[in-house]
Amino acid sequence: MANKGKSLVVVQLSGGNDYLNTVVPYGDEEYYDFRRTVHIEQDKVLPIDKVYGFSPHLAPIKRLYDQGKVAVINGIGYDNPNRSHFRSMDIWHTAQPDEIGTEGWLGKVIRDLDPKAENVLTGVNFGRGLPRALGVRGVPVASVGNLDTYGLFPDIKDESAKKLALDAFAHMYGGVQGKDPVLNFLGQTGMDALKGADILRTAPQKYSSAIEYAANPIAQGMKSIAQVLLADFGTRVFYTQHGSFDTHSGEIITHAKLWDEVSGAVGDFYDDMQEHGREDEVVVMIFSEFGRRIKDNGSGTDHGSGGVAFIIGGEVKGGMYGQYPSIREADQLEGDLHFNNDFRSTYSTIVEKWFGLDPVPIVNGHFEQFDFVNA
Amino acid sequence: MSQDASLMAHLMRRAGFGATRNELEECLSDGYKTTVDKLLNPGESNHMPDDLIRRYHVDQSELRQLDGAGAYWLYRMVTTSNPLEEKLALFWHGLFATGYAKLNQARALLNQIDMFRQYGFGSFRDLLVELSKDPAMILWLDNNENHKEAINENFGRELLELFSMGIGNYSEDDIKECAKAFTGWTLKNAEYMSVRASKDSIWPYGRIAWHYEYRANDHDSGEKKFLGEVGNFNGEDIVDIIATQEPTARFLSTRLFQYFASDEVGDDGNQVIKAMMDSYFESGFKVSAVLRTLFNSDYFKSEKCRYSRVKGPVESVVGTARLAGSYQEPTLDVHFLWAQTMFMGQGLLAPPTVEGWHEGVEWIDSGSLVERINFAAKELSDPTKYGVQDIIRRVTSGYRDFIQPENLVDSCLDFMGPIQVGADTREGLIEFAESQGDLQLKNGKTDAGGSAQVARLIGMIASTREYQLA
Amino acid sequence: MITNTVSIRYLKTIGIVNNGSNGRGFANPYDVAIGPEGNIFVLNRCDPARRNAIRVGVCNINEEYLYEFGYGFGDGDGQMMLPVAMAFDAKGRLLITDEHTNRITIYSDEGEVLGKWGHKGESEGEFNGPAGIATDSSGTVYICDQRNHRVQKYTADGGFLAQWGSQGTGEGEFNLPWGLGLDSENNVYIADWRNDRVQKFDSNGHYLKTIGDSEVKEEHLVRPSAVSIDGNGNIYVADWGNERVQVFNSEGEVIASLKGEATLSDWAKDFFESNPDEMETREISDLNPDVPDHLNNPYHISSQTEPFFWGPVSVNIDSDNRLYVVESNRHRIQVYEIE
Repeated sequence: MANKGKSLVVVQLSGGNDYLNTVVPYGDEEYYDFRRTVHIEQDKVLPIDKVYGFSPHLAPIKRLYDQGKVAVINGIGYDNPNRSHFRSMDIWHTAQPDEIGTEGWLGKVIRDLDPKAENVLTGVNFGRGLPRALGVRGVPVASVGNLDTYGLFPDIKDESAKKLALDAFAHMYGGVQGKDPVLNFLGQTGMDALKGADILRTAPQKYSSAIEYAANPIAQGMKSIAQVLLADFGTRVFYTQHGSFDTHSGEIITHAKLWDEVSGAVGDFYDDMQEHGREDEVVVMIFSEFGRRIKDNGSGTDHGSGGVAFIIGGEVKGGMYGQYPSIREADQLEGDLHFNNDFRSTYSTIVEKWFGLDPVPIVNGHFEQFDFVNA
Repeated sequence: MSQDASLMAHLMRRAGFGATRNELEECLSDGYKTTVDKLLNPGESNHMPDDLIRRYHVDQSELRQLDGAGAYWLYRMVTTSNPLEEKLALFWHGLFATGYAKLNQARALLNQIDMFRQYGFGSFRDLLVELSKDPAMILWLDNNENHKEAINENFGRELLELFSMGIGNYSEDDIKECAKAFTGWTLKNAEYMSVRASKDSIWPYGRIAWHYEYRANDHDSGEKKFLGEVGNFNGEDIVDIIATQEPTARFLSTRLFQYFASDEVGDDGNQVIKAMMDSYFESGFKVSAVLRTLFNSDYFKSEKCRYSRVKGPVESVVGTARLAGSYQEPTLDVHFLWAQTMFMGQGLLAPPTVEGWHEGVEWIDSGSLVERINFAAKELSDPTKYGVQDIIRRVTSGYRDFIQPENLVDSCLDFMGPIQVGADTREGLIEFAESQGDLQLKNGKTDAGGSAQVARLIGMIASTREYQLA
Repeated sequence: MITNTVSIRYLKTIGIVNNGSNGRGFANPYDVAIGPEGNIFVLNRCDPARRNAIRVGVCNINEEYLYEFGYGFGDGDGQMMLPVAMAFDAKGRLLITDEHTNRITIYSDEGEVLGKWGHKGESEGEFNGPAGIATDSSGTVYICDQRNHRVQKYTADGGFLAQWGSQGTGEGEFNLPWGLGLDSENNVYIADWRNDRVQKFDSNGHYLKTIGDSEVKEEHLVRPSAVSIDGNGNIYVADWGNERVQVFNSEGEVIASLKGEATLSDWAKDFFESNPDEMETREISDLNPDVPDHLNNPYHISSQTEPFFWGPVSVNIDSDNRLYVVESNRHRIQVYEIE
């Protein structure tokens, strides 16, 4: 029986995505004044209206936008913006701008979706190492570097040799438990890891699709997510990232390439879901830790504040949300865009309207919600 | 292997990163007590030379980024002749946990680690003074924002709560007075450096390194009342008072016990901690004296203490690399070695908060366990590695034609430690060895296939539960 | 003629740090070479964790960033892993050494791959970590074969001609030689890196002289990385371990010493224009601070003092008598005029 639960795919744009060159205020002359070198030509923009439009490198997202499947969250950020990659990313991950938090917001979502930790695959991260957003003590989350080799002994290439190693491992970890609690715990954890990997590795075998994802890492990441989602292991939260969007120099070329990759991957993922009749069960959220300076530096743009997020899915009510911040000198915040909606409003909307969970403990407070997704 | 060797291997797992058989034999010829003395009185260490590292790794010459800086310290841990020096620095790094995320200044962290090497064995009082002057710590806990006219008590609070006495042994007023005493303790060009840190700025020409600056005109030189004493205290005076407190002795001894002896304290542990506290006061707060008492205690040497700690990720990575004999010279992919510590949940130089890492059994979850096993198994199942070859040579010496699986397992366990394993583990290993058949030798030596066969078993041993324990 | 004085004037700084995969700025530059038309070719070594930045960037003395080329990190054709040094040959082709792939690759000045030679080994014509490189007017190529502790001599297209040197501390012996320079008579100068000296040979490898091994500490080289000779026979040495450039006359006497005086490049000025918050606090800062005792050595001083050389890995002199000092740790080139 297919899992009809709703799931969330988070795509993190690491390094600080340049909002102004993503959703371009092409109708505002000041944009071209501030962005003398690093801008998108007016005639290349894919218009949303007379003032704003998508970068041409978001064409697949524009296509979904035209179908009403993309919510653009403008001016997203938080008070006293931090322009350091690590710290600002931590803030987004822990939903705690004012102090150093330790629990990830998605880890808490996973805990609330699966309070007894019955399914080790409720949350799955694609990439090595666990993003802090998913980290909560006692909440198991699988971190998958490569779905095909995921699990123990990926370096043993020979299948029969690997089987021997895994059998011995099961014997060593799964035997009669002694009275040492630490050894018992290690044994249990090892067996959990073994089982989780056995299940996950079957996903690619079960999968078939007409979609051909590109060869770049984010496209392959989205393909892996599609495989796991369609394999119905009960995974509700998926996480992946792409970068680096830290375009201090040569931005035009780099930013274009990155968005070609991300929007291509997300567009293909949506089509894949549609092919399998599952586009209404999944929401994709794309975010970055901060935006970039309004004024370019002659080659790229530096760390700024105020950004854009995208929510994409069959049940999403498409359109522009929040306000696109004014770029006028008088309205700037220390040379940056002034955020006008707290990122925790977007989180709260997803947590409550999409997952039906209480957002307050997850995002650490009450925040006004948007109406960008059908409950 | 003898009882002596098991004990010595235990000491070297705790006071270092485990011993190769060569190292173990050297220690055994010195004897336990002398080995403890040598560990506690390290002279100049032999380790991979700085110039070779800097010549090869441009990022480790500049030390701008976290991964390069982490790899730089890992080289030192993997190649040092003074393992306790690094193990103790790692202890202080966990206790005085200062992280890259807020500083965006890797060099400042490595300078702090250097300070731990220099002061880490000596007087705890001196160490706390140096810590209070450490530019990375100053920025980490906002002491650059602690002004005469407007105190910021972040550093003052953590100095008492997390670095010396522990909560419950002082009042909120003591915290405020403590913070006042540290006003004016800042870093050079604090304003520019904090703006750069807050923006992760490497512009225009990379990072500018930090050093301590005392601003007398921003120091509150008025009278303060701290832990019952009154005076025009400056920071040093506060530390003088802290160092003499019994809770400080208890706090330090307990933390050292948990790191070097056992995750759980228990009744036996409390007795040892009491003796450690006595040494603390008798020696004039000397950390080396406290450690000597611990290492020479009956409890530490007892069977009960063995394998009673979960290895931390860094400990595990470094121990494995030392045993394998890898990363002995500049290596292209060393940044992955640092990344391993991150994957396993202890990103070196990047503790998540000032509270450091949650240690012991909390190191283990299914994700981090898989990372540990995969790393150790890969390193140690590689028969081209010098350390693996050495184990293979020792395992096969004394045999001529073949070695039966059971003997091979016991011999590998011996020369990799000795490592003691439970019955299930040993059976699983024998089952694995049997699946590979007898090890065939020609005149007492393995061919390439034979070496690979032993190496596979060594990799399997590195995958056991017991290998996760120290 | 032996000179006893030289006048060297600071001109400007070119550069800004750039980790990105394209665009102006440098990522741990390891060498420059001046092209036939006077353009400045900069070798971005970067590091394997930030491998996207590996490439050659081309700019001019007016700080215009002209173009760049590279084929990514790897051992495929035209690719690089740990590039060390480069030189233009008599035909205007650019030769780059790579100490990891043990290869010399020949590029056109537009970046087209024209040829390559070399592989790992210790026989004639093989390399173990090729580093410094220079070519003479006839096209002959000289290369420091670092971990084989020798110098090798090749035809313009990589035909082996000769070699000299072995590991040791004696005359004509080397320990991890790095930089290499030629004078107008094709004498060969080797920055004998781990022997803390420069050795001079004739073009056939006959030992002539040692420079920089003075008993006087002020004049003693520490881990020299590069060497270049001006028209008067004065010898410019990147004194890497001392974070300075030492200038010797042909007799080996120190006649000048530079420690660096970088200012803001045009690209750096652009940065501060869009980041005024950093400029405000920079202006009230002392960028030439006194450092405490425990950090009082050249490496740490340079890490704290932005104008000073930090990681000087290359010195080059162009036909207009401009001296280019490449600083790997500061991602920039300080340019001086020799009068």
